[in-house]
Amino acid sequence: MSVGHNLPTPSILRPSAKQKVGRGVLIVLALLFLAIFLVLPLVTVFVEAFSEGWKIYRNSIQQADVLFALRLTCLVTGIAVPLNVIFGIAASWAITRFDFHGKTLLITLIDIPLAVSPVVAGMMYVEVFGLHGWLGPWMLAHNLHVIFAIPGIVLATVFVTFPFVARELIPFMQAQGSDEEEAATALGANGWSIFWRVTLPNIKWALLYGIILTAARAIGEFGAVSVVSGHIRGQTTTLPLQVEIFYNEYNFTAAFAAASLLTLAALLTLVIKKVIEWSSVIHYRIEAEIIEP
Amino acid sequence: MSIQVEHIQKHYGPFTALNDLSLSIATGELVALLGPSGSGKTTLLRIIAGLETPDSGAVRLNGEDSTNHSAAMRGIGFVFQHYALFRHLTIFENVAFGLRVQQRKLRLTRKQIRERVEELLHLVQLDSHARMFPAQLSGGQRQRVALARALAVKPKVLLLDEPFSALDARVRKELRDWLRRIHDNLHVTTVLVTHDQEEALEVADRVAILHAGSLEQLGTPQSIYDHPATPFVYHFLGNVNLFRGRLLADLSANSQANTELRQANTAIGFVRPHELEISLQPPQNDPSLAAKVIRIHATGPLVRLELSLMQNDDPVIAEVSRKQFEELALSPGEIIFLRPQAMRLFTDVGGEDSLLNDGAGI
Repeated sequence: MSVGHNLPTPSILRPSAKQKVGRGVLIVLALLFLAIFLVLPLVTVFVEAFSEGWKIYRNSIQQADVLFALRLTCLVTGIAVPLNVIFGIAASWAITRFDFHGKTLLITLIDIPLAVSPVVAGMMYVEVFGLHGWLGPWMLAHNLHVIFAIPGIVLATVFVTFPFVARELIPFMQAQGSDEEEAATALGANGWSIFWRVTLPNIKWALLYGIILTAARAIGEFGAVSVVSGHIRGQTTTLPLQVEIFYNEYNFTAAFAAASLLTLAALLTLVIKKVIEWSSVIHYRIEAEIIEP
Repeated sequence: MSIQVEHIQKHYGPFTALNDLSLSIATGELVALLGPSGSGKTTLLRIIAGLETPDSGAVRLNGEDSTNHSAAMRGIGFVFQHYALFRHLTIFENVAFGLRVQQRKLRLTRKQIRERVEELLHLVQLDSHARMFPAQLSGGQRQRVALARALAVKPKVLLLDEPFSALDARVRKELRDWLRRIHDNLHVTTVLVTHDQEEALEVADRVAILHAGSLEQLGTPQSIYDHPATPFVYHFLGNVNLFRGRLLADLSANSQANTELRQANTAIGFVRPHELEISLQPPQNDPSLAAKVIRIHATGPLVRLELSLMQNDDPVIAEVSRKQFEELALSPGEIIFLRPQAMRLFTDVGGEDSLLNDGAGI
């Protein structure tokens, strides 16, 4: 018998039979919804991919086109992520550490790729760099190829992943303030050592989180890339485009095999994201103690 | 290193933080900048440090114009209100930071850095905490680390921005005495920003009182306490009674009332609690004020009486010795008579009204 047995428990802690039923129904509904709309399709991807056995699956993903698409996706992600890291840090630093005219405009501009449909983004690049676009004739004259070539795919991917690092860092750096950087300045550190020794160690978790989100988006981007790539097999097809090509050719097993690679990449980023969240929670718990002496 | 601040102006949008402020600090001196929030004291400190640039005016360090020098070039040590320790570095690395980021040709060797840091950690009595992180230390310990970190680079000027205000009263008092001892040992020119008048008066060689971006008064703690120059200083230092009214008769025995005051319609008089003479009967021939005893605090060397004036219910504080208190045998509710022994009079300018009524002090 517990000591406090005679004390009345607040109703919220001791649900009535009616409340218990209500709670149960809600939980079942949520789980059912998740199962039908998320888990089932996810399982289907792998079931379809392996429907004709492991050997066919292996052959499907070892096709030259798939391997090329995989390499191109990695290349594009490998370029887009570092560019966005540099831009994201520069923008967040400027926004959170300095006051300047047009600051609100910059914050708004960063959000544009979130608001604009990726297809529109792709079309904007075609309009600028395409053969009949503003810069097209000049670029053709100088033998520069952007549209229907890899540079266009990189540009489109950079565009749609633009906000992720900055969006992660800005609120974080705002909350952290510039006290430590000022302390470093007063101690005689120059801008470069302040960045490497103070700023970067402090923002590393938020930055990693932003990188994960950027990479996930870069790997999976379809709309914008589809418009600028021209779908040239073995030349401008990324993995998501390759999935579509197989699918349109009724080659379902190959389509699902390629899709399973994308799904695995997505699951992997989710796991990394979770690990980062988990480590940073421990990290923040220590920080919280700084505020409570 | 001496510090001269000359005609500094600083505006933030429409707000004037500093208004043509000049101040001179001698080498080895400990000066406190004292004022309410918004008086510009922190802005002034940050301008001296080079963390903020003035709109106009100059900062001279050792006679040399340093207005356009960066904080890094000025050879200052800065201690922040909220410590600003590097949270990802150990206490040892925090203190070593300033030594590690020095230019290669000036930088100490690893061994020298270790010795210097150990020496400083010993000075702030945190030898055994070298491997810990800031989050594992108490507020007082963190501020000591911040001080050691600032001292590591052998600054010629030490600037402290409300360093003890986030700490509890006991730790604050300890650190204050400790700072004074360190200053006496190192003789480094020190500027301390505070809003705590007790802290300023106790620890500083000279106190500069700031009000609305201007220097209100500069002097030794005793001269400021004994001879406040303006009603604002009187009010801000606190522990004073305020009487306002029409000047009809020479109320006080040694009043400084002058012709200007006689001509003015109304006047404000400041009287410290121990300067009120108390009697049980109205003194003959001398004017006096009748007051009612509200509360008696008899827990210190002096007995503190909370009184209320009979004429307008204004609160008044009086202090009497224990001996005198026993002779008077007062109890709450009793009516007594007050006669100020000294009073400093100022003309009652309308503009000061809001300032004097904000409730602090008395």
